[in-house]
This record gives sequence, structure tokens and C-alpha cells, in this order.
Amino acid sequence: MIRQCCRWLAVALWGLFLTETAQAASPIRPTETVRRKVLPEAWFAWLLLTPAMVFIAVIIAWPLVETIRLSFTDADLGGESYVGVANYVDLMESRRFRQTVTTTFYWMFLSVGLKLILGLIGACLLNAAVPGRAVFRMLVMPPWVIPIAIGVIGWLWMYNGYFGLLSGMGQRIGLFDGPYAFLAGRTSAFYSAVVTDVWVGTPMITLFFLAAMQGVNRDLYEAAWVDGAGRWYRFRRITIPQIMPVIVSMALLSAIWTFNSFDIIFILTQGGPRGATTTLIIDTYKVAIGNFKFGEGAARAVVIVVLLATFSALYLFLLNKVNKTYGVK
Amino acid sequence: MTPIKTLAIGATLLGSTAMPAFAESHATEMHVIMCGDEVFPADQVVIDEFVATHDGVTVNLESVPWSNCQDKSLTLAAAGDPPSLAYMGSRTLRQLATNDLIVPVTFTQEQMDAFQPGVLKTVTYDGQQWGLPHAFSTKALYLNCDLIEAAGATCEAPATWDDMMALAQQVVDNTDAAGIGVAGKDFDNTMHQFLNYLYSNGGQVIADDGSVALDSPETRETLEFYASLVSVAQEGVLEWERDAMVDLFNDGQIAMYINGPWGWGRHNEEINQMVVPVPAGPSGVSGTLLITDSIVVFNGSGHEDLALELASAMTSGQAQYELDNSWGLTPILQYEKLGFSDLFYEADPAHWANFISSIPTGGPEPLITDYRSLQAVFVNMIQGAILEEDSIDNLVSIAAEELADAL
Repeated sequence: MIRQCCRWLAVALWGLFLTETAQAASPIRPTETVRRKVLPEAWFAWLLLTPAMVFIAVIIAWPLVETIRLSFTDADLGGESYVGVANYVDLMESRRFRQTVTTTFYWMFLSVGLKLILGLIGACLLNAAVPGRAVFRMLVMPPWVIPIAIGVIGWLWMYNGYFGLLSGMGQRIGLFDGPYAFLAGRTSAFYSAVVTDVWVGTPMITLFFLAAMQGVNRDLYEAAWVDGAGRWYRFRRITIPQIMPVIVSMALLSAIWTFNSFDIIFILTQGGPRGATTTLIIDTYKVAIGNFKFGEGAARAVVIVVLLATFSALYLFLLNKVNKTYGVK
Repeated sequence: MTPIKTLAIGATLLGSTAMPAFAESHATEMHVIMCGDEVFPADQVVIDEFVATHDGVTVNLESVPWSNCQDKSLTLAAAGDPPSLAYMGSRTLRQLATNDLIVPVTFTQEQMDAFQPGVLKTVTYDGQQWGLPHAFSTKALYLNCDLIEAAGATCEAPATWDDMMALAQQVVDNTDAAGIGVAGKDFDNTMHQFLNYLYSNGGQVIADDGSVALDSPETRETLEFYASLVSVAQEGVLEWERDAMVDLFNDGQIAMYINGPWGWGRHNEEINQMVVPVPAGPSGVSGTLLITDSIVVFNGSGHEDLALELASAMTSGQAQYELDNSWGLTPILQYEKLGFSDLFYEADPAHWANFISSIPTGGPEPLITDYRSLQAVFVNMIQGAILEEDSIDNLVSIAAEELADAL
């Protein structure tokens, strides 16, 4: 409690100081000249930047540095000692970890690919001039609006072999001989998780693509139509290039989100069966939080950061090339 | 407003919020974490009495679901803000003890003699007890006699694994139901279900000298049998854990499954059910997994003695009996030795005999330092056998090696 009081006091004093300083810099203050003399302009600028810099340092820089430091230790519940690069060597030598990396990238590319394709199709359909278009646009939203945990638990029930909707429907139409447990097989569990992730992620991508499509200049379509261009040609040569920056941006963001997607897999399968749906983030959680091996978990987290940073750099490089190809500045 | 005025008002406000905290600091607040969805009335009574008889002591009682309860207690302790005591799975004790997060417990000889055989093994590491056992369960086989008779079989206890397999096969062949419910999900009770069979086949996980004894012919036989049960089990074994099988049993989808004594009360009344001991394997006699949850006293709360006193009160004869009786648990103490009469388990001896008679031949839930790895090792081995991803030999050898690493 005392520590909390001190914190509040510090915040209050800081706030008071900033308020007074800001008032000093305000053009409507009659004492402007006097106050400016007290605090030079450059100092004042740094002073205003300080809270943001402290915020970034505390929220981003410190955890990152601490994670990197921890990754060189064997930290667990009982304490920590320096182990050098042993955690990283263990990871590189682990066949299971390499399998997890492969699974993660397969999961990411498949899921993001499907989301982009379905998002593009959905956006085209919603962009079409059909009656009740507003209603259809609203109907796209629920998977994204529903809290992920609730939506995924719904899917968990649907995937159940005995009491699930999908298995029941499959049996009725003769697809399955008996109950089919989607989450019980390695392959079916993986693709079931992908389907759920696509269900959750597609609506947002659809809406972004839709917004981008609505921003395309109509004159381009009319000119192309006058020249005899067909629908597919107009889509390929006008729509796609015009919305390419949005496509690439969404692909990158979606890739990062999917790479780090935790809740969907954890609720559905906890990474099983036998690691079939264990991605890097699930593995990191299990090691660091589940087994309290903070050092080993931190090494995994650092690997994730490096992989994502590399992937992002590569992606931005490709984006630049693609934009040049399509003439987008 | 001048800075001086602002500061004065701020200081007054902060002071007014801090004063109660200073006043409270003179009292002792015990933080008690109870894993589970609720605090049992039998425990609440003891805690209320404890608070009433100890001036200046308050109890902050927190009920946390099992899914994250143990993690929460451990994380609090590791962060230097431990609860006073916690009711949690005994399997965590070795990890807590090894990291000096909990205090040891000393029982008198009389207290030790009163426990059911094997119970203290579940809380003993390195010759020392580290928790006060508070909930005890053993397992037995439940039979849906309606289904078994519909399959043309007689509803009687299968004595051996072969008998059980034959009975299950008969159900599969002659009804739409599965013969037996088998757990295979990535969940702790998948390991528990397997251990019921392992201990009924003379197997061991940890030998008496503390070494890993999993790599044995008995384990191989058990794993092979467990995997073979899939052919007569419910569809999609890997998505089922034991508690979810109650629904399958109630729905007439499985003819048999293993559960604790509380299973009886969770089954539909219209089902003609029977409970029998776990059938014996070819290398052993009928046994069971002996599993306890314990109250542990954490190091560093500043009032360990007080916490130990409360824990002792909660696990004392009368309070413990009330808990066992109201919850329908396997009796953790031999209450007849403590002079109790009209015992709840004597009122229905045929039912309770199935859960008590196998205690001497049962085995404890193993105490491993990295207790999370224990579950992962077993589940990986079991799922590997069910999915036929490796040979039984390899799976058992790998599991034994991984267990030795986690020991």
C-alpha cells in the first residue's frame, strides 16, 4: 500500500509539473515571455516527449531487454543463473522445435492465404450493387465482433464427434458412417483450427478490402468499360492494382496476428494431439508459463521476435517491388 | 489553483486513502487459495471458527478454478507474494518443496497411522511430508447394465483385462454403443486413467529408491492394452477426458468407464448401473491410482505458524470427515481408528468396497519436480500409442527418459 501511495504521489507530482509547464508555454498566458525564459524551447520539446519515451521504454524496451537477458539464463521458480547460449543450442538441436517452426509457418501461410482469398471474394460480393447490401455487410461482422473465446467454444462444440453439429450433419448426408471427432486426428485437428482461425479473421479483412474498393475512382472502370474491357479484366487490371497497398498491408498484419494466434488453438486443442497444432506461441506459453521454465521460454520468445522481424523485412522488401510493378507510389 | 494548493489537496487525498492501509497493517490477513469452483461448506465452517477464535486475524478466501489455480499459487509464490496456504493438487508439492516455496509438515505417529495406506506417499518427498492431504480419491469401473444386458451379456464384474475386452467387444458387436470410454485428450486425467491400468498390472512409475521405474514390461503391456481399447471405445478418443465421459455414459453411448466415487451421483437415476474394481492386468492384481489434493503452507507469508494451525484444523478428524462425507470422496482417514461411528461408507459397504479394497494395491500419483512435464510425458506416450506413430517399445523408453529428466 505504501508503495502504491508513493506511485500515486509521483504521478500526481509529475502531472502537476507538466500542467504548470504546459500552461507556461500556452500562448494565451500573459506571463508567456517570463516562463519561456525559464524553460528553453528545445528543453520543453524534450519534456513533452519524455512521457511517451518513458512509456515506450517501460512497455516495449524494458520487457524486450529483460526477455533477451532471461534467454541466457536457466531461470525457473527457484532462481536463475547464466547459461550462455545453451537455451538456443538446445532449440537448434531439438527436432520437436524444428517441427514446431514448420507447423507455425504452414499454419500462418495457409490461414492468411485463405483469409485473403475469402476476404477478396467477400469484398467483391459486398461491393456489388445488390438489394439489401447493407444487411449483408452487417452479417459479415459477427465472427469478428463476438469475443474470440466464445466463438471458439462454439466451434469446439460443433467439432465434437458425438454432440457436434458438423458430425451430425455429416452423418445425415452420408459423409460419415458414425460420429466423427474433428479434433481427435492430427490432420483433422490442424485443419479444423485453420478453419476456425479463418472464420474469425476473414470479416475484418473483407471490410478493409471493401473500403479500399470503394475508394477506387469510378472513372477508371467507365473508361475501361468503354474500351470493351470485361469484368475479369477490369478486376485484374484496375481493382487489384488500386487496392494492392491495402492487400499487402493486411497480408502483413494478418500474418503477424496469425503467427502469434494463441487463443484459438489453445481453446480448441491446447496444441495437440501430439503437437499437431503446436505453434511457436503455444510452445512458448507451455514452456514459460506452464512449466515455469522462464529462461527456455524467453529463448523461444526471442526466436519468435527474430523470425517475425525477418519475415516483416522480407515482406516490406517484396511490397516495395510489388508496388513498383503495379505503379503504386 | 496554485501549485501549493494542488499539492496540499493531493496530499490530503492520498493520506486519507493510505490511513486505512496503515491501520490494516496491524491486523493479520491470511490469503487462502482454494482450487476448485467453490469453497466447500465443511471448510468454510472451520475457517469461520478459526477467525472467530483468533483476534485480529482475517481470512481472504479465494476460490480459483482448477484450470489456472495451481499456476496462480505458484506464480504468486515465485513473485515473492505467496498466499498463506493453498488447497491444490499434491503433484505440485515436489516442485514447490525443491524451490523452497513451502514449509514441511510434521505428523505425529498417531496421525500417520490414521491415514489410509498410501495417502502419505502422495505428499512425501525426500523422506519428508510437504502437505496436509485433504481430498482423496480412488477409482473403479462403472458398468451400464442396461447396455450390457442389451448386448446379450451378463452384467457382472470383469475380473481381468481380457474379460473386460471381451465384454466391451460384445457391446460393440450387438448394440450401437461403444464398449468402454477411454480418455486420450491432452489433460491430466488421461494420465490418471492410464495409471489405473498400470497399477492394476503391477507397474510402477517411481521406484521405492526414488528412481524412474516406468521402463518396464508391465508398462509396455499396459500401453499396448490401453491402445487396443480404442477399437472398442467411443469415436475420437483423443478429444475425450474422463469428466466429459459422464455425458457419454448418461447418454447410453458407452457401456463402461473408470471414475471416482462421485461418479455414481452424476449418473442418470434411470440407468441400471454397477460399480466394480478396476480389472486386473496379466501381471498384477486389481489396483487403483491413489490421488490426493493437499493443503500446503507457503514460505514467506510472515505467519506460517498460523497458516499451519488453520491447515491442521481443516484436515482434523471431524472437519475432514464432514468434507469426505459431503463431497462423496474416498475416506482419507481410517475413521474407525479415530473412534468415529455410523460412518457414511459403512452405510453402503458394497459400493464403497470397490473404492476402498483396492487402496493397498494402489499406487500414488508420482511426485515429479517438473510436474507439468509428468502430464506431457504420459499424454505424449499414450497418444503416440493410440495414433500408432511409434512402437510401444520406443514410446515407453522415450517416456522413461523424459521422466528421468523431469524428476
